[in-house]
Amino acid sequence: MKLRKIQAAVAMAGIALLAALPALAQLKSPDDVKNSLKLLVMVSNDFKRQITNKNFNRVPHENMEYQEAADGLRSAIKDEPANFKSKAETRLKVAVAAYQKVSDMSSTTPDADKLMAEHAKAVKDMDALFDLFPADLRPDPNTPPPSHGAPKN
Amino acid sequence: MACNDEKDGNDPRAALHTRRWVLFQMLAVASAGWGCGRLRKPEQKVVDLQIGSDGDFLAFKPTMLTCPAGALVHLTFHHRGKIISARHNWVLTYPGKLDALVKDALDKDGVLAPGDPLVIAATPLCDKGQTVTIQFVAPKPGDYPFVCSTHPEDMQGVLHVTK
Repeated sequence: MKLRKIQAAVAMAGIALLAALPALAQLKSPDDVKNSLKLLVMVSNDFKRQITNKNFNRVPHENMEYQEAADGLRSAIKDEPANFKSKAETRLKVAVAAYQKVSDMSSTTPDADKLMAEHAKAVKDMDALFDLFPADLRPDPNTPPPSHGAPKN
Repeated sequence: MACNDEKDGNDPRAALHTRRWVLFQMLAVASAGWGCGRLRKPEQKVVDLQIGSDGDFLAFKPTMLTCPAGALVHLTFHHRGKIISARHNWVLTYPGKLDALVKDALDKDGVLAPGDPLVIAATPLCDKGQTVTIQFVAPKPGDYPFVCSTHPEDMQGVLHVTK
């Protein structure tokens, strides 16, 4: 009797574990999702570079590209289950709003330190979005850019 | 004048003949030189090169192109982006001029003036999904950097010109 209870508990735990697996394993368009997430990181890094180089007038342009990358992700997950899609879109909306704030600040408060601090907050919001996706689809924000192949001057 | 010629003992018909002969020889030499020049000139090679953006990412694919010096190059650039609306192009500069071109492009927001002395050849800017083609004569052997003028720090590559 006790053994049966243990077996049932293990079975229930297994079912619960399977249900908790990220929707990633069954994503309809994993390549599109992967590309979109990579684009979000790429544009986020461009934000950072423009702020570091004090090219504040370029920040709104990066923000426009961030929104386009966000649209790409929305499109890539459009056929996913409603529950997953809803969670992802909510977190994406938060991330997009955070980058919008950085963009808005770049014209009103062109201060590199303050913008970098706000950018760091935006990155956290983007990371929260990425947590919803399987690890193998998430880009590594610390990966250095690919070699360009151009000779040094 | 004819009388003087006769007086000097010169035959006017012979003089005319000589002048015609000299003129003929000059024309013959000129024609031969032109013809030989054409024969000696090596036939110009025509090379087709294909390049594009790496999807929506800020990189060229491939990043290395090769052609022989003096070849007539037909270069086709394809913007493979589908999501980001950033425009791209392909701009070739001289060895050692990459940094100057990058600075120039950044200062001018990617819009380089026609006849820019740093530019050897350039395609027009194109939108995602578009393809553009240009042709130019490959310069002397060397490694020539190329960039996208709107993303000069990210999109770079090399045209390797062989002998």
